[in-house]
Amino acid sequence: MHAAGEITLTTRTEWERALEGMVDGGGDVYLDMSGVTFVDVAGASAVAVAAQHLGSGRRMVLKGPPPALLRALEMFWPGLAAIEVTTK
Amino acid sequence: MTHSAESFVHPALFYQNSQEYLAGTVPFIQKGLAAGEPVAVAVPGSNLELLRAELGKSAEAVQLIDMKAAGRNPGRIIPKVLLAFADAHPTRRVQIIGEPIWPGRTPAEYPACVQHEALINTAFRGREVTILCPYDAARLDPAVLADAYATHPVVVDAGREELSGTYDPDRVVAAYNQPLARPPRAAVFAFEAECLPDARDFAVDRAKYLGLTGERVEDFALAVAELTTNSVVHGGGSGTVWVWGEGGQVLCEVRDSGHLSDPLAGRRPPLRDQLGGRGLLMVNYLTDLVRVHTGPEGTAIRFHLGN
Repeated sequence: MHAAGEITLTTRTEWERALEGMVDGGGDVYLDMSGVTFVDVAGASAVAVAAQHLGSGRRMVLKGPPPALLRALEMFWPGLAAIEVTTK
Repeated sequence: MTHSAESFVHPALFYQNSQEYLAGTVPFIQKGLAAGEPVAVAVPGSNLELLRAELGKSAEAVQLIDMKAAGRNPGRIIPKVLLAFADAHPTRRVQIIGEPIWPGRTPAEYPACVQHEALINTAFRGREVTILCPYDAARLDPAVLADAYATHPVVVDAGREELSGTYDPDRVVAAYNQPLARPPRAAVFAFEAECLPDARDFAVDRAKYLGLTGERVEDFALAVAELTTNSVVHGGGSGTVWVWGEGGQVLCEVRDSGHLSDPLAGRRPPLRDQLGGRGLLMVNYLTDLVRVHTGPEGTAIRFHLGN
């Protein structure tokens, strides 16, 4: 999935549904976030919760996430093994 | 020191000098270690060094935390220091020394410090935890020591333990819930749901203009986003955001018509797989100080951030 713009209150429900859909879909989850400029804590929580629901063997790859998302992930979910971050 | 039948124990320790400090803390630590209990010490760096030297090798078994860094913002001491340690050891009684108030605390910080001390009693009710709070009785103002009697059910002074006759933590939380004075030069932006990003951009631009740089700008943006979003979701749907500089820091205040009725809001980490409930907690973690004035007429939440 490719996301762009801001993940905040206005886009929260859509974001949570998209993540749930990918978790339900099976396989690894690839998220191109290089076009995302800001993610609030609720948006980061949705990522972390989805990653925890992946089950063993599956991972979530975040491509180019904004600093705000990494800040929230390291603060509340340090060492969340299912999440892998790549640059561009 | 005797332990009562109550599970949570929260004594204040008044000390006049280093000897009294060590006499009041070292046996507490050693007793915990001897019982195989987890022990943490979160105190200002100078007292941490004093204890490290006195404990010698047994210091290795104690989690030592510089409270001036970890507890700079008193609002994050409960979740990030005290609960974090207690929750990491769920099967044992936990022993903690926590010194959140020291002579260098500013007048802006102090009300948040006292409210923190009072709220410990609510946050840890029923928990198998002891939190011993040293107070530098030689240098702190007598009013500070009077507040310590109100926030601790037991006070140890000159080696003697006594029940506090003025223990009343709820009164303290209410007494320090005072209107926050704001300078006339503060810039303001009124927002509602549709313009949340504009409110954030406005506040971030002001913060940069006032000298905030680097990662602290990211932190500022996250904190503003959480407070303004809370206003839209819980605070009546709209609010105002104010930004100004003071004492080398950038201050940001968000006002709305909501009432923050949970005194522990922003101090209780949610479960790892819970979606919501991290907004105020994040603000506490990221910033140097958070002050709150709340009531039926509305809420103002202010944070301080410096480079």
